[in-house]
Amino acid sequence: MARATESTLVREDTSAYEAVAGLTVGLAAVLFFLALAALVDIVSLTDTVVGVPTLTLLGTLLVVMGVAVVGFGLLSYREVFPTQPRESAGLIAALLFGGIWFLLGALVGSETLGLGPLGGLVVGLVAGLGAGAVTAVPREDIGSTLPAGALALVFGFVFLLGVVGPEWSWSPANFPDDQQVTFFARSVAPFAVQGSALVVGWAAAKAYGGFGARGRHFGAYLLVYLNALAIIAVLVALVAFVVFKGFVPVTESVQFGLGVGPETTVALFGFSYTVVWPVYWPFLMNGASLFTDITGVFPAIVGTAWLVIGAVVLAVPLGVGAAVFLTEYAEQGGFTRVVEVATNALWSTPSIVFGLFGAAFLVPRFTPQPQKSLLAGMITLGFMLLPLVVITAREAMVAVPDEYRDASAALGVSRWQTIRSVVIPASMPGIVTGVILGVGRIAGETAPLLLTMGGGSFVPAGQRAKVLNGFQLSLSPPFVTNPELTQATTALPYQLYQVVLTGTGETAGVNDVLAFGWGTALVLLAVVLSFYAVGILTRQYFRSKLKYE
Amino acid sequence: MSETESPTQTDGTDSTDSPHQTVAGETEERLREEWREYAFEDETKLAVEDLDVYYGDDHALKSVSMDIPEQSVTALIGPSGCGKSTFLRSLNRMNDRINSARIDGSVRLDGEEIYRDGADLVELRKRVGMVFQAPNPFPKSIRENVSYGPRKHGDINTGLLPRLLGRDDTEAETELVERSLRQAALYDEVSDRLEDNALGLSGGQQQRLCIARCLAVDPEVILMDEPASALDPIATSKIEDLIEELAEDYTVVVVTHNMQQAARISDQTAVFLTGGHLVEYDGTEKIFENPESQRVEDYVSGKFG
Repeated sequence: MARATESTLVREDTSAYEAVAGLTVGLAAVLFFLALAALVDIVSLTDTVVGVPTLTLLGTLLVVMGVAVVGFGLLSYREVFPTQPRESAGLIAALLFGGIWFLLGALVGSETLGLGPLGGLVVGLVAGLGAGAVTAVPREDIGSTLPAGALALVFGFVFLLGVVGPEWSWSPANFPDDQQVTFFARSVAPFAVQGSALVVGWAAAKAYGGFGARGRHFGAYLLVYLNALAIIAVLVALVAFVVFKGFVPVTESVQFGLGVGPETTVALFGFSYTVVWPVYWPFLMNGASLFTDITGVFPAIVGTAWLVIGAVVLAVPLGVGAAVFLTEYAEQGGFTRVVEVATNALWSTPSIVFGLFGAAFLVPRFTPQPQKSLLAGMITLGFMLLPLVVITAREAMVAVPDEYRDASAALGVSRWQTIRSVVIPASMPGIVTGVILGVGRIAGETAPLLLTMGGGSFVPAGQRAKVLNGFQLSLSPPFVTNPELTQATTALPYQLYQVVLTGTGETAGVNDVLAFGWGTALVLLAVVLSFYAVGILTRQYFRSKLKYE
Repeated sequence: MSETESPTQTDGTDSTDSPHQTVAGETEERLREEWREYAFEDETKLAVEDLDVYYGDDHALKSVSMDIPEQSVTALIGPSGCGKSTFLRSLNRMNDRINSARIDGSVRLDGEEIYRDGADLVELRKRVGMVFQAPNPFPKSIRENVSYGPRKHGDINTGLLPRLLGRDDTEAETELVERSLRQAALYDEVSDRLEDNALGLSGGQQQRLCIARCLAVDPEVILMDEPASALDPIATSKIEDLIEELAEDYTVVVVTHNMQQAARISDQTAVFLTGGHLVEYDGTEKIFENPESQRVEDYVSGKFG
């Protein structure tokens, strides 16, 4: 290129051009999240935002940004401001813009202009090829701004002129009548706005960086950053949604004060001690009962807690033991590879398969008559947890440096003692991470519980699984018995399924079945997160023992 | 491990037809005959005879024989890949930990064959301790690092059960830790933070901690595999002083790349050259001032290697 630009090593001040470009980038981000809010119904399309109808506001913003971006391109092309554009915006951008404009052209051609499928195809091809050519052929500053700005302008005017209003809907004619699909403005419009905001923001970010390598860096940075923020936003929205829906039923008539709560009697091996709680929280402390106003999920919380504890107690020693054998004793080769593949496959086995296995193999084994039981549920979930514990424990042990093993062997310490006092402590954080991940999965499992553990989903508080109180000593074998373990009981995900889908709640005295479901979901989320918190604290403890602060 | 490096160059000295042969027409057999005549005053601690080590197909150590006298420092020097570390590791059977390794020959510790069937590796490694090239303390406290060996051997019992039974050895442990750290010239630097994690120490301190950890088991022989090569000059000189002190009570065998270091600290020196041959073994002064072999003279004077 014959054009020589002066480049300076240090940019001392921001030019007006850069300031406006930066402002446009910020506006694109605002628009992106506004559209995200509209998508999840936080902002309604039929309503107004700061006094302006939502769609009008979105359309205006799009038009403003479209004009701005096209302006950057033209100004840069006329070399009003110093930029370093390359010869072309590149093939990938051309394909992307071509594709977008093809879709847009085909839709507008066939539907808005009423040219029919063939006419739509022609319009789409013209638009797509045109946009691709405009992107690829001219210099980068034109190629990456004009198609983007034009896209924003088209959508902006579509919303501003009311072509797509809040009540707009479109049912494509080429679906069979009994499988009609309808697109509504409330889902299509936010998507279109989000897409254009990304494209325009990318172009504006490139303009802000003066195109060229620096511009590409800013463009990519914007896309990656918005992507990460959007993921966080979706997560936050999900949790917020559950909290929002579940908060009212969960906190109904909570009372604080001495003596208002229920009595708890802890009895273990014949000793008992009674405390009265200073808080009465009906949703968390009640079971199903005709004598209380509010039906609660207490038995289900207890059931879930025991399930997780049982599964962890079963799976962790077995899994860590298997990992020790595989990493420290077994000859590395065909056998260990087969075991590794098998464990990975086991971890991806669908949970309903585990459930069916439990129902066929475990349920008939503990009682004279086949009976679903807490123990069968624990063992089934333990089997589900086992492969992940093996995988993560193995990885953690392989990561322990061989220098430790050498040092220990050179001191004359046997292999088993080396494993016990050096290898396992050093791999504890990794093992705990695996258990955390696994518990997150099994605590929310419903399918295996349906088949192995679930009894009545609405249980009076008095009939919860009292595992601790259930231990009984006797002088004849097996010396310790616990009838609670062989009883069917309930758990949070199981109860959630029952109440939302099978309508058992109505007969059990639940007034608002959906609200009860959201409340149960919130409690389940809280229980899983608290297991998570315990896991992270444990991991932190083991880490702090290994590291020097 | 690559044991076959490019042949050595000896240009500028005697006329050599091929670099593969020993210099000046000497055959390896003749060389070996010559240095077999060394004699040391002290008792022999370790007697090595016709030791061959193979890693798979690789013949890493070729028929090495040497006697290591007790309470002295023996240096093993030679270029990279000459088999000196392999030799060192066969003295406490650490080579057994490498799957492909095969060992022929005899090593006797105080007249007892360590390679005979049924040899007790735990006992052997208690008597022949080892310090590695890179400091490798455990991710535990300084105290636990030092008392690790005796604890695992059951010589020191701490914890709940021994305390209940009245057999708690905490005092013995404290004493042992202090003594070992003092012997390793580390106690004054760490006495106020024995409960801190050992990974917080500097590299030189970590290496001295590893020496203390080795001393705590009360060995008779200490093998050191380039103990100072990962350290700065000040830390290196501390380790060197320490090695000289240790030789008063222990038999020290040290592998080093650094010929000045070998000359400074050792009583006798063995020179290994490419291919896994022990070329010459004699008093350190003799090796460095008037070696029998031309190759050794070239090597110690820095003409190759």
